[in-house]
Amino acid sequence: MTLIAFQDPLGQLPTPASTFAEEVDPLFTFLTVISIFFFTLILVVLVYSAIRYRRRRPDQPPASQMTHNTTLEVVWTLIPTVILMVTFAWGLKGNLDQQIVPADARAYTVEAWKWAWAFHHPGDDPNNPQTAAEDLYCEIGVPVRITMTSRDVLHSLYIPAFRVKRDVVPGVRQILWFRPTELGTYDLFCAEYCGDGHSLMRRKVHVVDAETFAKKPWIDIPQTPEGRGEKWYTQAGCIACHSLTDQITVGPVFKGIWMRPGQLQSGESYVADADYIRNSIRNPASQLVAGRPNWVAGAMPQFTEAQLTDEQIDDLIAWMKTLK
Amino acid sequence: MTTHTPAIETAPSATRKEPSYLDVTKGFWSWAGTLDHKRIGIMYLVGVTAAFLCGGLLALLIRLHLWTPEGMLFENGVYNQVFTLHGVFMVFLFIIPAIPASIGNFVLPLMLGAPDVALPRLNLASFYLWLVGSILTVYSIITGAVDTGWTFYTPYSIETQTSVLSMGLAIFVLGFSSIFTGLNFIVTIHKMRARGQGWFKMPLFCWAIYATSVLQVLATPVLGVTVLLLAFEHIYNIGIFDPAYGGDPILFQHFFWFYSHPAVYIMILPAMGVISEVVSVHSRKPLFGYKLIAFSSISIAVISFLVWGHHMYTSGQSEFVMMAFSFLTMLVAIPTAIKVFSWVATIWGGSVALSAPMLYAISFIIIFTIGGLTGVFLGALSVDIHLHDTYFVVAHFHAVMMGSTALAFFAGIHHWWPKMFGVMYDERLAKISAVLILIGFNVTFLPQFKMGSLGMPRRYATYVEQFQIYHQVSTVGAMILGVGFALMLGYLLHSLVAGRRARANEWGGVTLDWHTPTPPNLYNFDDEPVMAGKLYDYTELDISPTGEATFKAHKSTATVGSKA
Repeated sequence: MTLIAFQDPLGQLPTPASTFAEEVDPLFTFLTVISIFFFTLILVVLVYSAIRYRRRRPDQPPASQMTHNTTLEVVWTLIPTVILMVTFAWGLKGNLDQQIVPADARAYTVEAWKWAWAFHHPGDDPNNPQTAAEDLYCEIGVPVRITMTSRDVLHSLYIPAFRVKRDVVPGVRQILWFRPTELGTYDLFCAEYCGDGHSLMRRKVHVVDAETFAKKPWIDIPQTPEGRGEKWYTQAGCIACHSLTDQITVGPVFKGIWMRPGQLQSGESYVADADYIRNSIRNPASQLVAGRPNWVAGAMPQFTEAQLTDEQIDDLIAWMKTLK
Repeated sequence: MTTHTPAIETAPSATRKEPSYLDVTKGFWSWAGTLDHKRIGIMYLVGVTAAFLCGGLLALLIRLHLWTPEGMLFENGVYNQVFTLHGVFMVFLFIIPAIPASIGNFVLPLMLGAPDVALPRLNLASFYLWLVGSILTVYSIITGAVDTGWTFYTPYSIETQTSVLSMGLAIFVLGFSSIFTGLNFIVTIHKMRARGQGWFKMPLFCWAIYATSVLQVLATPVLGVTVLLLAFEHIYNIGIFDPAYGGDPILFQHFFWFYSHPAVYIMILPAMGVISEVVSVHSRKPLFGYKLIAFSSISIAVISFLVWGHHMYTSGQSEFVMMAFSFLTMLVAIPTAIKVFSWVATIWGGSVALSAPMLYAISFIIIFTIGGLTGVFLGALSVDIHLHDTYFVVAHFHAVMMGSTALAFFAGIHHWWPKMFGVMYDERLAKISAVLILIGFNVTFLPQFKMGSLGMPRRYATYVEQFQIYHQVSTVGAMILGVGFALMLGYLLHSLVAGRRARANEWGGVTLDWHTPTPPNLYNFDDEPVMAGKLYDYTELDISPTGEATFKAHKSTATVGSKA
């Protein structure tokens, strides 16, 4: 606690939970103190001058005609220069550490898409969508190395408590690493704008002890099809667009979806039966619903067998039947 | 622009030989087809103010929406369109043209003692391109809007079903408007300075406009090319930016910021120029460190081409490249700091009028200092990784763009309003609105710095509950800002119909613009000015006990030459 107080005495940053916080927070505090000092200095001199030398009668001449002072100008050029160079070197050092991944880091992968994260933990098959987890679990003190890919557009993985952020770029493998230092559950955000569900790409990071980690808490597959369907609903990211209340977020609400009638852009009518739902997932462009602007109707991404298995879709349908 | 005419007709200067530029011709076409830099400046002023009002209303909608964590007003997709349009309106239609094209157009030739800009037809063409660009922007909104953010990052901007193409075309056209203005000003400054006015006898506003114009001419074509490539990508899938066709989405960011970082200085340099003039006149003192300020404008312009990568610290650039960009970013902060210190030193020991323009200028210095200092946080590599794409960045660039450039624009409007229209607004109301805006700005954006530090990402239509209190305070601040701007619009418009007659030299300025009749003639000066005296020499003025400023006959900057 004293260490935290030293690093971030003004309480501006989230609770620190990785080794990077030890680098970032003192520099942030240093800059805050410097900023407050210079801001106060400028404000005081500015306000003092404006009041002290205010024009009391319209023809008042200026008190001073000084327009140049070499000493003053050299001083106020050199002091910021020195502070800026210190800041540059300090920031660079912290960043170099973020680039060099320790050899003993555990290998994770994550695939991002509109709008979900699929984390594959060490030891899982990264090609099996059923073992993908929407939350990230890591063991305290053990470095984590995440290889990140995107299925569609730019995303960015951001964990404020760890002070890490890295863009996820389609066509490129990006690497992010960190070493968690505090047990707890932390927010995980998408920080690069990616469309309608951008603000819904927020999940949790769980830092657990070795014993809990060994039990693989991320693998938690329910026994019933309905239970599994509900899990896939969050894990595959359906949750970002299809709400379970009456309020539309992006796509059709799932509340009462089973056998609900509607109309397609082609003019045909449909009912939301198993075939319709399956086809909406596998080939969404083939049956856009009427009455919504194109930029919404076309927002549904296509899911292949490698991204969502047929069994998972069966589970989803079983679960949808229960949504009244 | 006909509403003000009655007030003008009753306001001829006692000594004026010719009718003012407002009276010399009448009717719609005398404005729509005018080649007079002052009328074009006024038309721009009306245009950019309209854009500012649209962008401002969108900002209020954004702030209202974020009152609750689930979002109060819109579906997510609509929210994304609203913040995109807010950005497009404010950046491309308002801030970039605001000071150069409206105040610059009006004031620059006056300061140079010139009858007009060098290329009046190009000047008018620039205005109409701006108008076409604005119409295309509105067209894009009607035909499906845009939801990419004002940065148009690929591949999202290629995939989205919204009107990216027509919006891209709008930006392409607006770019040419900007280039035309810049080119015109460069030529004007080189060729049309008054006799006796060497480069270092130019007011600092002219230096700032010069540096800005160079940036506009050199950087804007890159934006044009980028938007064109984006359009090709959209239509033909040529695979430059889209990874699905072997392209590189990061390349788009390089192209985009190669323009858009210098564009940040296209926005702020003219603002610094305005502040330099306002601070000098209202302190009745020459600017402190004139040459240092002039050179810092030029060095900012040069270095600004070399720092674009600091927008991309999290995109996976090489460590060496990041180091270089971070270093250069720190360098650009030095001339910026020098300017702030120089303004404060100018006020020190002056005869400081706490007039409405000066209150806006002081607000500018306060908020610009906040913007500059928080910029250093973002230039430091390790800290930026945490702050990148959070509300800290949002608050930082609003401090620089809105709190600084927009405030300088309003400082300039209040400063040259009597020169432009020959009337004065209600200064008591103007001071109230300046204070409201200063308070409103800080209530809006200080909580945003805080929540950004705590990790609130930007461009979020919904958010986690812990940030709600900051969002709510911020929304209250935005309402205060809204009241301040509405009040300003009210008293400025009121002054056109019922304002008191402005004095010939309302504030006691000594640069050549204050040697013109108020309002100026069609060709600005009664007689061709020759600059014999010093720059910013306030001893040239006789000030009466009631504040009436007149030039001493025997000792004038503009010794009047015989009319050729």
